Amino acid sequence: MKRYVAIVLILLAFVIQTGCMDRSQPSALRVALPYSDHVLDTKTNYYIEYLENKTGLEIETVIVRQDDGEEYLDALFASDSDIDIVFFGEDFVIDEETAKNYADKGYVHTAEDGTFWYPNYGSRTTGDCGQILWINYEWLERLGLSIPTTTSELREVLFAFKNNDPNGNGLNDEIALIGSTEDYCYDPAELLLNSYVYNDPYNNRLFYGGSGALRLSTEAAAFREGMVFLRGLYKDGLLDTRTFSYSLNEMNEVINANIDIVGAFTTDFISNVIYQANPEVLARYIHVAPLAGPEGVRYSMYREGKPMVGAVINARSAHISDAERLIAAMLSEEASLIARYGEPGVDWERSDGSDVSIYGTISTIVTKNYIWNTPQNKHLNGIGPMYVPDVYLKGVTWNGLNSDAEYVDARAQVGYSDHLPERRYQGTFDAETASYTDRYIYSFITGERDVFDDNEWGTLVQSVSERTVR
Amino acid sequence: MRIRITALFMSLLFVFAAGCGQITTDTEDDWLEKAALNVDISEEELYKAALKEDVLIVYTVSTRTVQTKEAFEKAYPGLVVEIRDLRSPDLVDKVAENFAEGRTSCDVVICNDNSGEFKSRLVDTGAVVPYLSPEIKTKMKDGHVGECISFLDEAELLFYNSRLFETQPISNIWELTESRFSGMIYIPNPLRSFSTYAFIAATFDHADELEEAYKSWCGCDFDRKDGTAPEALWKEISKNAVFTNSSDEVMEALNTDKAMLGIMISSKLRYKNMGYGFEPAYRLTPFTGCRTTVSVMLARNSQNVNSAKLFIDFLLGGADGTGDGYKPFRTPGAWSARTDVGDGTDTPLSEIDLLYPNADSMIARKDEFYKFWSECLKDQTNR
Repeated sequence: MKRYVAIVLILLAFVIQTGCMDRSQPSALRVALPYSDHVLDTKTNYYIEYLENKTGLEIETVIVRQDDGEEYLDALFASDSDIDIVFFGEDFVIDEETAKNYADKGYVHTAEDGTFWYPNYGSRTTGDCGQILWINYEWLERLGLSIPTTTSELREVLFAFKNNDPNGNGLNDEIALIGSTEDYCYDPAELLLNSYVYNDPYNNRLFYGGSGALRLSTEAAAFREGMVFLRGLYKDGLLDTRTFSYSLNEMNEVINANIDIVGAFTTDFISNVIYQANPEVLARYIHVAPLAGPEGVRYSMYREGKPMVGAVINARSAHISDAERLIAAMLSEEASLIARYGEPGVDWERSDGSDVSIYGTISTIVTKNYIWNTPQNKHLNGIGPMYVPDVYLKGVTWNGLNSDAEYVDARAQVGYSDHLPERRYQGTFDAETASYTDRYIYSFITGERDVFDDNEWGTLVQSVSERTVR
Repeated sequence: MRIRITALFMSLLFVFAAGCGQITTDTEDDWLEKAALNVDISEEELYKAALKEDVLIVYTVSTRTVQTKEAFEKAYPGLVVEIRDLRSPDLVDKVAENFAEGRTSCDVVICNDNSGEFKSRLVDTGAVVPYLSPEIKTKMKDGHVGECISFLDEAELLFYNSRLFETQPISNIWELTESRFSGMIYIPNPLRSFSTYAFIAATFDHADELEEAYKSWCGCDFDRKDGTAPEALWKEISKNAVFTNSSDEVMEALNTDKAMLGIMISSKLRYKNMGYGFEPAYRLTPFTGCRTTVSVMLARNSQNVNSAKLFIDFLLGGADGTGDGYKPFRTPGAWSARTDVGDGTDTPLSEIDLLYPNADSMIARKDEFYKFWSECLKDQTNR
């Protein structure tokens, strides 16, 4: 119901907005894009002006002040608004599946080559390691503990976190380890299983075994040992119960709270968890190298960096070819570098090779003014289509700010990269089987099912095996 | 008592002036006068005046300042501190640019002051000024109070991977040029790290000692036909080195066995207690590193002078040195600047083979060093 009310309100806003519009310039491309604290004025934005000069097109920006991309598109397509292109970015996003649904219904334009959405690659931190463990450094220091290197050491540390009042407030309010099941990268169980056997839920938990044959993690005896370890953590209150009910936002609120109550968590990139304007909280956590399990196994989970949906074209647009031309220009290397780093020569320049990148490689881009995620008017802060090759994303120099999440993430990625499997299986994600397996895993961890019961375990192994396409 | 009343009056005047907007460059002397840097004002009076000021902005090169901030806000309810944690060159750039444009972006500056950049661009230009309460001044070690307030000593020195080596694997600095360490020595880029720059630049004032060490290592005299001993040493070390952005990366490389040896700031020793696998090489012929100092200064034209003074005194541990502000800095790898406060490190600085950089020499030879290092780095990255 709430969703319909929201759509009606947005529709009304559209009607009002459309009524107030200056329709004297029908040739202008009307681009809807989300409001951002980091973009001062799209009417005078350097990047928009660059695109206008480059393409000869007139761009009229319309600011969207809502977060839900799908709700906005519902309202847009239900109205007679003449928006030509919708840009996505920051919190205003849709996924490829959603874009396809709109394309199938004829709302979103599908190009001759079948393209119905345009990529945004480069606005998020990039890296091959899909999950990193972060631990509260200040708590370790206060309790005189070492950074754990094995799963058993981690257990000892979590126990001390839970019971020794590391935040010093006299209350037993510490959360030793928390997560969220909103994405696998936030679920500590997935990371800890990689200390027993290679475990990649993004690729249906399939991996290449020593003989080169494709294997399923759940079939390995070590997977069950890992589950026993996780059950122990949960039972002893070291893996917080909220892990299996919290959304990412709820988890983030707890971690970013003024009171210091979280000991450890996992994420792909810390910028997805610690709020941008929270350097004190960021300084609290350091990454922990992959933990060795009882048999010395210590894998990092590989995750292929995929572009997000950066834009769709309204199928009703009277300027389809102009819209395609604009997007093509935005996807060029020249434009994408402006979209990511700002004005060439002023905010960044190509490196002469005497600098080191955040990934420890030879730098390709030297940032002179680091304007990303700051209020500025040089680019759209990652909103809209862009394609920045990895050679630049991983070749950029550090801005010198110790609380720069991109640098913090890069250092963690470097530390985890040595533990990636040599040969990586990449398959199409099977959401149905994944959901089935996940439910089983949660039930074993929470004790709803008995991980020591051979029949229960056998059912999991057999049923997942039968469902998984190899 | 009269002095204190006058000081309080001046502090209040300053608060009113600050409230009226930006102080222009024409009134900089007025600022100095109103800042009353050499007047003894009690902690209570400073706090009272500070409560009328805005958020205190601290530019720092040390993450540990965050702990000082938290302790400060607890000790002085109502005062708020914002920390900007920057790498030294970026910090100097920001403060210098803002000062040149007549703007004030911060109130307190905490920075490594060894490369000459800090001195030439911030101290000599008056972009930052020294402040310390008279009581604390009397308790500072020699050489720590002058045009700069050096509140902490550290060292940029060689470390080795203690998982790979049970004992220090080298005894002479020239061994770093041996091919067995190819790709296994991690060093912060000296053009981006003041303390690394200071160490390397300081060696250029000690060519004779390096020649003697060369003879001891090689068994033959150093041949000067292709340049000086320091030039030859660092050119050869560059061939074995992996350059990083910061000491953090060096520490992480040593801990993950990517590095056998690394040059980094001594304050990273505190991570050793947390299980990181590295040890300092305190003894090396002819030297293992250089002494570095960290300064705390008041930013010229600060609009929050009373809060800034209070914070600086708090950072130094207060009148008796036992306050919580100094504790985060009394860690392994750091040496106290106060006579009444013990070092965070068991080994005294005098028992470490360190150079003491000459800032004036580095300022004078800055262009030469930058050119030399740019070439070394290009050679290294082009391999």
